Amino acid sequence: MSGERWTENERRARELFDASVEGLDAETRSRLNRARQVAVAEVERAHRNPWRTWLPAAVAASVALLAVVLWRMPGNGVEPVARPAEPAPAAEVVEMLANGEGFDVAAEDPEFYTWLASQGLPANGAG
Amino acid sequence: MTASVSLDFATLARLADGEPAWAEENALESATSLDRFLASVERRAFRIAQMAVRDRDDALDIVQGAMLRLARNYARRPSEEWKPLFYRILYNGIRDFQRRRTVRSRIFGLLPGQWADDEEGPADPFEQVAGNLPEPSRQLMADEAMQALEVAVRQLPERQQQAFALRCLEGMDVAETAEAMGCSEGSVKTHYFRALQTLRAKLGEVW
Repeated sequence: MSGERWTENERRARELFDASVEGLDAETRSRLNRARQVAVAEVERAHRNPWRTWLPAAVAASVALLAVVLWRMPGNGVEPVARPAEPAPAAEVVEMLANGEGFDVAAEDPEFYTWLASQGLPANGAG
Repeated sequence: MTASVSLDFATLARLADGEPAWAEENALESATSLDRFLASVERRAFRIAQMAVRDRDDALDIVQGAMLRLARNYARRPSEEWKPLFYRILYNGIRDFQRRRTVRSRIFGLLPGQWADDEEGPADPFEQVAGNLPEPSRQLMADEAMQALEVAVRQLPERQQQAFALRCLEGMDVAETAEAMGCSEGSVKTHYFRALQTLRAKLGEVW
C-alpha cells in the first residue's frame, strides 16, 4: 500500500477486497478480457486512421457552413430587407399632389415658392 | 532475404495507405501500454463497480464503458494520468447507472405487479466457477466479512464510498484520489476519515 501508514482496519479491508478480486469467476475474467481487447483495438484503429477521429466534426462543420452559405444566397427569399423600387419622378409628383402633400410642402418652404415665382415660369407649370 | 523482401512490401503497403512507419509504432506502443494498464485495473474496477451497483452484468457494462471512453478520449494523454481518469470515468458511469435505475424503479413502482430492481434472477452457473480460492472455511469467513464490508460501504454517502474505495481498496494516494473524485485533497481526507469512522463503528467485530 505504497509506504503509507495504514491501520489494522484498513489493511484488513484491503485484504478482503484483494481476496474477492482474486476469487473472480472465469466468466467474469473472460468478459473483462474481451472488453479490454475491444478498447485497445479502438486505440489502434484511431492511431492508424486519425482522420476517423476528426471526420464527424469535419462533416458537421461542413454541413453547417453549407447551410449558412445557402441561407445567405440571394434569391432564396430570406434577405433581411428588400429595398422597394424608386417610383418615377412624375409619378411621385402626381402621388404627392393627390395626397395633398404638395400644399404642405409649400406651407413648410415658402422661400422655395418665392424663388420659383421669380424664375418667371408659367403659373400652370407647363414649359 | 525473404524477411527483407516482405518488410519492403509491408513498408510499401503502408506508404500506399498513407501511413508512415512511426505511426504504426506509436499505435502499437500506445495500445500495448493501454492494454497493460487496463489489465492492471480491470478486476479491481469491476469489484468496485459491483459493490456500488450490486449486479455483475451491470458492473461489467460500466467497466467496459469506462475502458472504451478512456481509449477513445484519453489514450494520447500521459499514462500516469490514466488511473485517476479511468476511475473518474468509472464513477461517472456508476452515477449515471444509479440515476437511470432510480428513475426506472420509480416508473416501475407505479405499475402494479412489477418486480423490484434488487430481485435476484436465476443463478448464473459461471458465477459458481471458482478462481484461485483458499480452503472452504477460510473462504467462507472471508466471504462473510467481505459481504459485511460491502453492505456497510454501500450505506455510506456517495463521496465517502468513493474516497474509501479509491484510497483504501484501490490504494491510491490522496492526490490521485482527489483527481479521480474531482475535488480537493482536503475534501478527500475529510470524506475518507468520516468513512473510516462510520465503518469502524459498524464493523467493529468483523474488522
